[in-house]
Amino acid sequence: MSAQSATGGQGRGAAGGATVRERAQLALNDDFLRKAVRFTTERLRSGKKQASEEHGNWEAWRERGRQIRLHTIAHLDYYLNLFADNARANGAHVHFAFNAEEAVRIVLEIAERKAAKSVVKSKSMVTEELHLNRALEQIGVEAIETDLGEYIVQLAGETPSHIIIPAIHKNRRQIAELLSEVAGETLPPDTPVLAGFVRKKLREKFLEADIGMTGCNFAIAETGSMVLFENEGNARMVTTVPKTQITLMGMERIIPSWADLEVMATLLPRSATGQRMTVYMSGISGPRRAEDADGPDEMHIVIVDNGRSLQLGDPEFQELLNCIRCGACLNACPVYRHIGGHAYGGTYSGPIGAVLTPALNKDNVAQWDDIASASSLCGACYEACPVKIPLHDMLIYLRRRKVAQGYSPALEKLGMKGFGAVMGSAAKYRGALRLGKLGQKLVARGGVIKARLGPLKGWNRYRHAPSLAKESFRDRWKTIEQEIRHGLSEIEAARARSRLEAALKERDNGGGGGNGHG
Amino acid sequence: MADASYEQWLARMDAESRAKQERFMNGIAERMGRPRLTSAPAHPHRGAPDDWRGFEWPPEERAERFAANFRSAGGHPVRLADLEEAKRFIVGKAEELGARIVVRQRQPELDALDLESALPNARVSVWNDDPGENWKARAAEADIGIVVADYAAAYTGSIAVLSSKDKGRSVSLLPAVLIAIIPMDRLATRLGEVLACFDEAGRERLPAGIHFISGPSRSADIENDLTIGVHGPGVVYALLVG
Repeated sequence: MSAQSATGGQGRGAAGGATVRERAQLALNDDFLRKAVRFTTERLRSGKKQASEEHGNWEAWRERGRQIRLHTIAHLDYYLNLFADNARANGAHVHFAFNAEEAVRIVLEIAERKAAKSVVKSKSMVTEELHLNRALEQIGVEAIETDLGEYIVQLAGETPSHIIIPAIHKNRRQIAELLSEVAGETLPPDTPVLAGFVRKKLREKFLEADIGMTGCNFAIAETGSMVLFENEGNARMVTTVPKTQITLMGMERIIPSWADLEVMATLLPRSATGQRMTVYMSGISGPRRAEDADGPDEMHIVIVDNGRSLQLGDPEFQELLNCIRCGACLNACPVYRHIGGHAYGGTYSGPIGAVLTPALNKDNVAQWDDIASASSLCGACYEACPVKIPLHDMLIYLRRRKVAQGYSPALEKLGMKGFGAVMGSAAKYRGALRLGKLGQKLVARGGVIKARLGPLKGWNRYRHAPSLAKESFRDRWKTIEQEIRHGLSEIEAARARSRLEAALKERDNGGGGGNGHG
Repeated sequence: MADASYEQWLARMDAESRAKQERFMNGIAERMGRPRLTSAPAHPHRGAPDDWRGFEWPPEERAERFAANFRSAGGHPVRLADLEEAKRFIVGKAEELGARIVVRQRQPELDALDLESALPNARVSVWNDDPGENWKARAAEADIGIVVADYAAAYTGSIAVLSSKDKGRSVSLLPAVLIAIIPMDRLATRLGEVLACFDEAGRERLPAGIHFISGPSRSADIENDLTIGVHGPGVVYALLVG
């Protein structure tokens, strides 16, 4: 297993294609992936909607969440400093890393000094960002993901494709095959059996691991506490059982107080999975007290910049640091739902990934991927965001910066100007749609436009533009929403399963979608 | 691992960290284009929206709402009149499940139940009553863990347990079944009422671990198919007492 995950890192997850265009092609060909992604994201999205409606006054909470995040980031030097001092006073060892290399070096040094053989990890996007597992494997330390989905993804030598449901792209039979290899016997593709096997297997790993490693959802400045939200209990395992705990946190994870945590605890689970509350929310303040009989003897907190501070003082991107990593923008995004997470090619996918990945790597515009262009700028991400980050605006800023740096063809530059003019006014947008509906009569065949001409030249190089609907998405939004909610309320687990199995069969029979994951 | 060279290394890392901390914070201030902020800024938006803060359900409704929320998360809420009933419930459940090993916190309410003699067929151990014991292993092998909640919140259906020398974090985590007694006077309406206690207590009086538990351990990572008991307890009883 460890050998596989050593090659994993950022390997086959982003299978094949080097550009977003190629990776999206892979995803679009993968029928199961597309159905699974759509099924899951619709379920999560509808759950979020119900949970936020049930809570009531959602807009006021969103606004409060935004204000708390804005306030904290605006005074980050004060709050981060306070957190570090308080965490130290709690007995934790605090480290600072300006970049990925420094963070990795600190972690490896701890692992080496501890002569660690294995590290059990709970889900952490920061460690994905640092490619920490690979670094640990290279010095001979086994790094074991313990979140069920992450464990599966790791066994497959892939990377997570959804921030909340990492193995969204795997079906039950593929999972059974992966776990059967570990078990050394054939396990049936039956969820309770598979989960039961993982529970038993990972129990052993928890109990023998030298180091437990976590991410951090929030860090409370006034008491130096770190807070973790989770459903499985693996983050609690990782912070309770091993003798040494290492927590990796982005420098922007701070909130001032426990009172502020109520707002985040209201927004995060509801936005991520539609739950009133995750099964576990843990606030950890330093290593175990001398008289305690469990909890880590030693706790390290590594505070990571790695491009985050580049957003500070940048009026267009500072709010990016407000993100609480709920994944709601992924579930809302029509592009994500179509191409899945791996097509984004970075650690973070969906609308947040499309902005965050280049933003963390700001000095290097030439390296920016073309994902910002794979967006419909429909604003669904902003509507879904529990702290109201204007992601759709940021996508435009990114495109503009790329254009300004001379990395775009002249025609697009002109287009951006026109786009700005049209998108800036609802009336002009409506007008443009009307014009398009007329114009497309000349070129649309069978519901798509294949001709590479006019405004669709670049777009149609790698997909066919759908012809503009007689009734636009804007018009139909209400109906779709009702259909989804009505549909989901009818679907029972058994029926969902048979649908997925049918999808699988169809894919197998089709044979064509053989690329991608396996 | 507490050898001299390790301690030296730790001290060196800590010194390095403090120096870097200054550079980190100065860098932030510089990016923001203002001098370094060294005193607490006014925080006008602290905590939940204003109209939420006075919100409170009467005790009976609180119990009902807690039960409904806890049940919808897959947990088993039970309403009981007193600790004597709680004892009968626990003994009945332990016998029904055929529990052979039970671990409980060392809390006065649980001491009074005297489960040790009420469960002759099970080995009942009391957390940390022998410092030489490997308590994590004792909790890991237990069928049932029993705790008294420090707080609970009805609105989210959450139980809060705080760690101490008498209250292991493992007791609510490692056994297959968790039974939590919630005295009614510890049941708040909002999560924020509980969290406010930690702000009031302040850093120095916080325990190492504060854990909110809102049902059985769960995952939907395999094809969205809900699985219970992935790493933590798969069966959780919340006994509302009083």
